[in-house]
Amino acid sequence: MTQASAGSGAAPVRQGAGRKDKEASRSEQALNRFHEEARLGEVYDARMLARLWPFVRPHARYLTLSLSLLVVNALLALTRPLIMRSAFDGFDAPDGLERLTRNGVVLTAVLLCEQSLSFPQLYSMQLAGARAMADLRLHVFTFLHTRRLAFFDRTPVGRLVTRVTNDVDAIGEMFASGALNAIGDLIRLAVIVVIMLSLDWQMSLIAFVAVPPVALGVNWTRQRIRDAFREVRSKTARMNAYLNEQVSGMAIVQAYAREERSAEDFDDINAAYRNANNRSIVFDATLDAAIEMVSSLCIATALWYAGVHSLSSRISFGTLFAFVAYIDMFFVPIRDLSTRFTMVQSAMAGAERVFELLDNKDEDAAASASEAAAPAAAGDPGVAFELDSVTFGYKPSVDVLHDVSFAAKAGEKIALVGATGAGKSTVASLLLRLYDIKVGAVRVFGRDASAYPRDELRRKFAVVPQDVFLFPGSVLSNIAAGDVAPDRARVVRALERIGAFDLFERREGGLDAPVLERGHNFSAGERQLIAFARALYRDPPILILDEATANVDSDTEARLQRALEGAMKGRTALIIAHRLSTIRAVDRIVVFHKGHVVEQGTHDDLLAAGGVYSRLYRLQFAREAAAAAST
Amino acid sequence: MNPSPDPARYPVSLGAQFRRNLHLYLSGAGLLAGQQLLMAKRDFLVKEAVDAATQLNADDAKQAALVMLGVSIGAAVMRVLSRVTIFTGGRNVEYELRAVLLSRLHKLGPAFFRRMPTGEIMSRATNDLSQVRLLLGFGILNVVSSIFAFSSALYVMFHLSGKLTLAALGVMPALMLVTRSFSTKLFTRTRENQEALGQMSDRVLASLAGVRVVRSFALEGAETEAFTEANKGYLEKSLGLARVRGAMVPIMNAISSAGVLIVFWYGGRLVLSGEMTKGDFVSFWLALLRLTWPMLALGFVAAIVQRGRAGYLRIKTIFDAVPEVVSGSRPRPEVVRGALVVKDLSFAHGERKVVDGVSFEVSAGGSLAIVGRTGSGKSTIATLLARLMPTPRGAVLLDGVDICDLPIETVRESIGYAQQDAFLFSTTVARNIGFSIKDPDTPEALERIRAAAEEAEVLDEVISLPEGFDTVVGERGVQLSGGQRQRVALARALIREPPILVLDDPLSAVDAKTEASILAAIERQAAQRTVILITHRVAAARRCDGIIVLDQGRVIERGDHDELVRAGGLYASFAEEQELEEDLAAIDALPSSSGIAAGAVAAEPPAGVA
Repeated sequence: MTQASAGSGAAPVRQGAGRKDKEASRSEQALNRFHEEARLGEVYDARMLARLWPFVRPHARYLTLSLSLLVVNALLALTRPLIMRSAFDGFDAPDGLERLTRNGVVLTAVLLCEQSLSFPQLYSMQLAGARAMADLRLHVFTFLHTRRLAFFDRTPVGRLVTRVTNDVDAIGEMFASGALNAIGDLIRLAVIVVIMLSLDWQMSLIAFVAVPPVALGVNWTRQRIRDAFREVRSKTARMNAYLNEQVSGMAIVQAYAREERSAEDFDDINAAYRNANNRSIVFDATLDAAIEMVSSLCIATALWYAGVHSLSSRISFGTLFAFVAYIDMFFVPIRDLSTRFTMVQSAMAGAERVFELLDNKDEDAAASASEAAAPAAAGDPGVAFELDSVTFGYKPSVDVLHDVSFAAKAGEKIALVGATGAGKSTVASLLLRLYDIKVGAVRVFGRDASAYPRDELRRKFAVVPQDVFLFPGSVLSNIAAGDVAPDRARVVRALERIGAFDLFERREGGLDAPVLERGHNFSAGERQLIAFARALYRDPPILILDEATANVDSDTEARLQRALEGAMKGRTALIIAHRLSTIRAVDRIVVFHKGHVVEQGTHDDLLAAGGVYSRLYRLQFAREAAAAAST
Repeated sequence: MNPSPDPARYPVSLGAQFRRNLHLYLSGAGLLAGQQLLMAKRDFLVKEAVDAATQLNADDAKQAALVMLGVSIGAAVMRVLSRVTIFTGGRNVEYELRAVLLSRLHKLGPAFFRRMPTGEIMSRATNDLSQVRLLLGFGILNVVSSIFAFSSALYVMFHLSGKLTLAALGVMPALMLVTRSFSTKLFTRTRENQEALGQMSDRVLASLAGVRVVRSFALEGAETEAFTEANKGYLEKSLGLARVRGAMVPIMNAISSAGVLIVFWYGGRLVLSGEMTKGDFVSFWLALLRLTWPMLALGFVAAIVQRGRAGYLRIKTIFDAVPEVVSGSRPRPEVVRGALVVKDLSFAHGERKVVDGVSFEVSAGGSLAIVGRTGSGKSTIATLLARLMPTPRGAVLLDGVDICDLPIETVRESIGYAQQDAFLFSTTVARNIGFSIKDPDTPEALERIRAAAEEAEVLDEVISLPEGFDTVVGERGVQLSGGQRQRVALARALIREPPILVLDDPLSAVDAKTEASILAAIERQAAQRTVILITHRVAAARRCDGIIVLDQGRVIERGDHDELVRAGGLYASFAEEQELEEDLAAIDALPSSSGIAAGAVAAEPPAGVA
């Protein structure tokens, strides 16, 4: 039983490797190319460190403190064997006991000193690192909020979150793990060599005969370990990706009865992961053991030399002991070097990803200097907003709006109607300058939208979007979005004006009721009402409402209608309409069709004209009839 | 030997896994014992060499040193092998448990995945499993190696000087206790640190997912402030962890230094008084150094065991989850003709009835459209037909046999279900289409894949991709358009040629031109097999032999297209609505624009199979 499983554990490894080389199919090759981990050149490392420096510099005093303590400590530790040597050399002297005691006191002092310096050394290092990383995180976060919206359309949010959290953490780990203590180790190594040479250069040379071949061996293994770890990382990534996908696509795996073959695929990946790990174990264990062995070998060589010279007058027992102690000290940091190096490597990989993000040039709507210098020349400030021959597309090749022109006078209420995909919702994004137009001009209160500082422009609007996004927090904090200290009375007034205060008052927790992730604990209608209140709380001159297409019950529908009327009172309003009921409350209707404005006018005029609007109206009517038929 | 091991046969309990790898653990233990024996030998050789040297006995010293060389090399080799064997044991356990995990997940239904989100499952498959591996690799190595190292070092030390040993060991219990208390503290602080990181990441996620609102309301300042709070919280927690990390090393060093001082001073006195030789002293010193690491390691073992067990228990909740859908006991039928009878099918999510007393019949080779609005329960019926959810007994009969009595593979192979959301895997286009083919790389298979792509009207677009059929799609691959994904998924369903084909809304996310060609493909399919088409599009439904209209889980109308339009119910209003939509789409915005293609579809005469 045990033998069989040992065989099955080892055999597929070799078979698998052979098969992969020979029979890799075209698909296999395509996939392998795809999964190959991008290799990081070491040349980048220095550049990465240079780019990290501005974030570390404000905390450099902690780093300096830590590094100087590190040097002091490294040197203190090196005095220990010397103190012992002095004591042991007194063994054969008449005042041996006295020397032993005296040196004992000195040794105690050194040890105490070392250990009490150790905490500030370690802590100030982490302090410098953690603070620098907090600054870096904040920088990345604010940087993201200055990117164009199109950037977010392209990049998965999860990846961006990883940049802010895990990748920055990987860099921070360089400080936290004490990888930088390698600097102390290097100093220590150099000083040990100097001390040993000065104690007895011949014995030193003999003791270190083993060092060059070992250094080569260690370096060789270290490279193997690095490769092995790199492989482990890429296998881990592939395994996690596969598993994640299996779970997300489970319904499909099951529907296609593919469980067994998925398990086989996974077995290949799982086995490759295990084998990669096993390889890294061999190298890792070899490095460890080799270093331990070498310190034994050096001791043996030193003893052999001591034996040859028979501890004559030239080599005292104390010196021999100091040698043994130094050799032991010599190899400990060498063992740690490889893990520290791996740590620095993964920090550099994290830094590369973070800085790649920070290299992004898609900056959001900055007011262009030339246009800002010539304010308000173009338009009439009595016009709240205006689109003037606007052509726009999300992708360069596909235009969503073609030569669109319409305007709203201050206080006017306008509805945009049109079939799905006619380009209505895009208008709202352009007014707020969430995207930049290709041709034409967008003016807000007579001034070109691109001439406003972006905050000033956006504060002129309040948007009630189709799919309301709620932030984690409370009803109160969501309505008073942007206010650190929400004005409760104003929130209540806003809710009362849209006639929804009682609804939220009734809920458990009232205004302080928690909003869970993305507001899933509120119905679509309630979320809309919160969005209305949010808009009113800001009290902007222009209101944009992108009506929800989701079905709401008739009670909520009535509430939303009242809310809309309350919200529109006394301001310019743009309604992107999906329902007939809202259209009646406006002054003018603008009809969109395939990205063009095709008709404008009042409901009655448009209906009489018998064009696109009249058909849209009939369509809406048919939808309402269908809704009535089903209930 | 079985070419592909069956994960279902791997043991899942930790004890059984341990026994399965016992040979590795035992040989590892043997090697560790050997290594420690050699280390003891080394210490004695050092004593001999030093004593010989001090007594001006060059030959003995040289010989002891030479033997020591050999002993050291032997110990190193054993050390490497011991780690390789024991860690391999741990990795084997990890490997098998992970395979078991996936095979268990394959048996679980949507109810389970609703309860446990993907992130949670992933965390169990990675973090928790690593903890188990540490327990059965590193943990076992440490325990065994510490025991032997203790015995070996103590043997040497007692042999050299009992008094000095007792004095030196005085600090050991303190060291162990301190390590233990620090490792628990480290564990809690690490967890707090992780939680703070989680909170910060939630904050970032909310802020970036809601970036539109943030922009529209110019909330950047407020968001930055909220993030700064979370960032500060995380900074404080990491510094808290740093304080524990920073204090642990010096305190442990201080304690072991006390041991060093004792040996130095008391041992020195013993040498002075002649109770120990100088060789004894050096040898004792080396043995003492060997004790430091096992001491520290034993302190960590408690935490490793604790975390390994906790991790295993979390994985076990997945192992122990009961599959809702299990295979029936009847043998697999020789031929499946594809006649389907649904009798009074009901299904509820908790209190809410999603499907309520639905009955219909489709003869072998016939076709049926299930029409209804979003949320009317039509997709639920489709998943119940393929037994992807727990189908009630006696409600669905395939060729007259209850599908709950048939082997699950037979049901899913016979009732080919193409999902509404076109989820593709991040592999090549060819492998996505050939998802259900045994060996998708053979020339015959590639031919079938090509044919399926052609049938689903996606062949030309696939060929124009950067690497054609070998283009990798999905998460990080080429972004196919919604319509392309939909058709690749359709090809994936068509290639199986199941007796019954269930298509769930194959027309969402396609333009008018593609819609026409997919409808043609559906018609061709309907001529060859039983087709159940789930749709809200009248243009698709009218091509089927029969139509049922669903509302709130109930069948409210049934008949063929013309009957239903005449009846003037929900279906008729769908028909009117969609006709108006097509009418609208046919209007040109400007003379130059392209409404002609859509118009052509709308003007096409009804070509239903009915």
